[in-house]
Amino acid sequence: MSQQFEPNIVAFLCNWCSYAGADLAGTSRVRYPANLQAIRVMCSGRVNPLYVMNALQQGADGVLISGCHPGDCHYMEGNFHARRRLGMLKELLEFVGVDPRRFHMSWVSASEGHKWKEVVEKTVEDARAAGPFEGFRRRRIDW
Amino acid sequence: MDLDKLRKTAAEVVSRDDVKYLIGWRPGSYGYRVAPGFVEEASAAETLIFSPLCTINLATYLTLTEKLPLPRGSAPDQRKVALMVKGCDSRAVLQLLVEKGIRRDQVLLIGCPCPGVVDTALLSLKYPETESPADLKWNGDHFLLRQDGQETAIPRLSVLAEKCRLCRYPNPVISDITLGEPVEAQLTAEDSAVAEVEAMELGARAAYWEEWFSRCLRCYACRNSCPLCYCRDCVLDRLNPTWVNRAVNFSENTAFHVARAFHLVGRCIECGECERVCPANIPLGRLNRKLAREVREQYGHEPGIDPDGKPFQAGFKPDDPEEFIL
Amino acid sequence: MSAMLLNKQKWTEFTGILSGKKVLAPVACGDRFRYAVPAEGKAFSLDFDRPLVPPKSAVFPQTETLYRFQLGKTELAAPQPGEELILLGVRPCDARAIKLVEKLFRWDVDDPYYLRRRELTTVVGLACLEPGLNCFCPSLGGGPASTEGLDLLMVDLGDSYYLEPLTDKGRSLMDLASGLLEEAGEEGLQKKEEAVRRAEEKIRRTVDTDGVPEILPDLWEHPLWQKTAAGCLGCGTCTYLCPTCHCFDIQDEIEGFEARRCRMWDSCMFEEYTLHTSGHNPRPTRRERTRNRINHKYSYFVRKFNVIACVGCGRCVNYCPVNIDLIETLREVKEAQ
Repeated sequence: MSQQFEPNIVAFLCNWCSYAGADLAGTSRVRYPANLQAIRVMCSGRVNPLYVMNALQQGADGVLISGCHPGDCHYMEGNFHARRRLGMLKELLEFVGVDPRRFHMSWVSASEGHKWKEVVEKTVEDARAAGPFEGFRRRRIDW
Repeated sequence: MDLDKLRKTAAEVVSRDDVKYLIGWRPGSYGYRVAPGFVEEASAAETLIFSPLCTINLATYLTLTEKLPLPRGSAPDQRKVALMVKGCDSRAVLQLLVEKGIRRDQVLLIGCPCPGVVDTALLSLKYPETESPADLKWNGDHFLLRQDGQETAIPRLSVLAEKCRLCRYPNPVISDITLGEPVEAQLTAEDSAVAEVEAMELGARAAYWEEWFSRCLRCYACRNSCPLCYCRDCVLDRLNPTWVNRAVNFSENTAFHVARAFHLVGRCIECGECERVCPANIPLGRLNRKLAREVREQYGHEPGIDPDGKPFQAGFKPDDPEEFIL
Repeated sequence: MSAMLLNKQKWTEFTGILSGKKVLAPVACGDRFRYAVPAEGKAFSLDFDRPLVPPKSAVFPQTETLYRFQLGKTELAAPQPGEELILLGVRPCDARAIKLVEKLFRWDVDDPYYLRRRELTTVVGLACLEPGLNCFCPSLGGGPASTEGLDLLMVDLGDSYYLEPLTDKGRSLMDLASGLLEEAGEEGLQKKEEAVRRAEEKIRRTVDTDGVPEILPDLWEHPLWQKTAAGCLGCGTCTYLCPTCHCFDIQDEIEGFEARRCRMWDSCMFEEYTLHTSGHNPRPTRRERTRNRINHKYSYFVRKFNVIACVGCGRCVNYCPVNIDLIETLREVKEAQ
């Protein structure tokens, strides 16, 4: 059996939708890749771009940010802000040479266990295709 | 521009009771340098100039002044700061007003329509500096350089700053007193520098930035010179939590530059100061201009234009683009 | 060994002799030069302008790991620099600065990191025959061919280099290359002196430092500091590029379960330079910080080590984005007396 590269994905999940969605996927016995480290945040709008940078610096091969569908935000508009900001972060990361396959954002509601599976599969597949992240990883530089 | 008029206006402004001091440009100590001039008395207005060498964006100084606790019983100085602004500088002031970084009654703006400043580094490369301060003037499609009694005509485009080649707002967008006649916006060129980086393969682009970011000294000149980087407590200085380590290496430098550029998304008014002040010559303008262009094209937002506008990152539209979302 | 000449045609052979060792030489990066290990297969060249970052960074790196440790464990691993290093193409002013900074690292306690690096480094200087616009080294006791802090001085004589050994380290380096060298003789010496004299004449800017260390304490509250600081952006350009600035900060950095304690350059122009834990800052504004920079070089260091901690390299004047000119400031200090 050839050793397949297993990427490390850091996922920031909003407490109200995506985390519950991921939970639902688990309780519904939906099988999805286990490459994900889930970090629960109160809202996708809370995700600071420095979180993403830090994840990549510390050795993540991909980052996923997931929140409620537009209009469903527990805080009314947090995910709208996230969409604007992280959309620009995606542009910026791509411009400085980070593979766009390493950074994804999704809307997963608390009832979408199956969509969660698809999102994770896509994220992991993309990060696997992009290969191990070397770029500005801290350990590559002088650790 | 008529320097006599400029100095007369400045002297009048400084003499006003409601003005603390005026910030303008004065000749530097040598060569092509220009220094910020802080004028407190009418007589000192004689030193002020406005020339193609006046690259410094003085709007930075509005938020740079440290606010120390006042001695007991004394009232804060509520007088205005008078500021000389070019087109781009005025956009910085307007953006500061939109963000409520300053109040309108705190500033008095003297607008200077600007036909474009020079890239001093480029100029001194092509026409070496000498130790005596040089004088540069606009003259149609040439700059007239007077240095050590000699006069040289320099083709405008050969030394024009990159940001001025792309300038869409040469006239102050906000001012209380405007000096001189409005300047016609030049035909804006394609931002070839950004396009050049965009055209690279992903790997080449990563290598390009790795080379530049590795040279960064983290002197923070880019951050400090930026009129819109005015947080009293910068997240990049924080140690608890430490988002960006103090170690100077490619990894931390990238985090620093990405964070810096990101904090200017929808706020950068493209004055090019970050790029100009960088001792390592890192093309930071490319980062900022790329993001400014995306904001303009994808979201139709332009900072520092609309006094009633909302800050880009503090707002949203329900129909913002979301093709990238899974 | 006395002074020798190295024909420039033998330059490639000369660098070949050095190739077994770690050599830092000026490398072009865009239109700036910096000291780096030249890329594989690329020849060293001494055809360069004054480098942006002073070679102090070779003996006092901008970030240096003092020791590493692991969470939950008590062992410390302190890396010791052990590699011999040849610093090629050092300007005499920068070499002098290395010597000056050494006083600080020998004072009070001996700094093992700095001194070990210093011991392992051979500093090969190159006389500065084309001084820059803002060079003022003669005003501070240096000169285009000053030998202080150098192990070996090279002077470009057009078709050959004049090599003058100054220490045992320099001599042993020349011994390695003895087959390529020829006796400089009286003629070589004359040519060298002529070249240096011409270089000295090209230096335009001067500073009168006479009495400055004594005046500075009296000017503590003088308005000139406010005036100088008004335009200051508070960036670290002047201090980071200064060959004698040596302030550092110590930070712990954690990565997973590993951590390291490092020392990195600090700058007195930064707001958090002397910020106390309590929130109090004895240097709360740019006025105090600007004053500190000048006082440290021209007063505190003089009191402690009896020499001005400035070598007149002109970098702070060249690279200050808002034209805060050290030479002007010093003139104002003299006038304020």
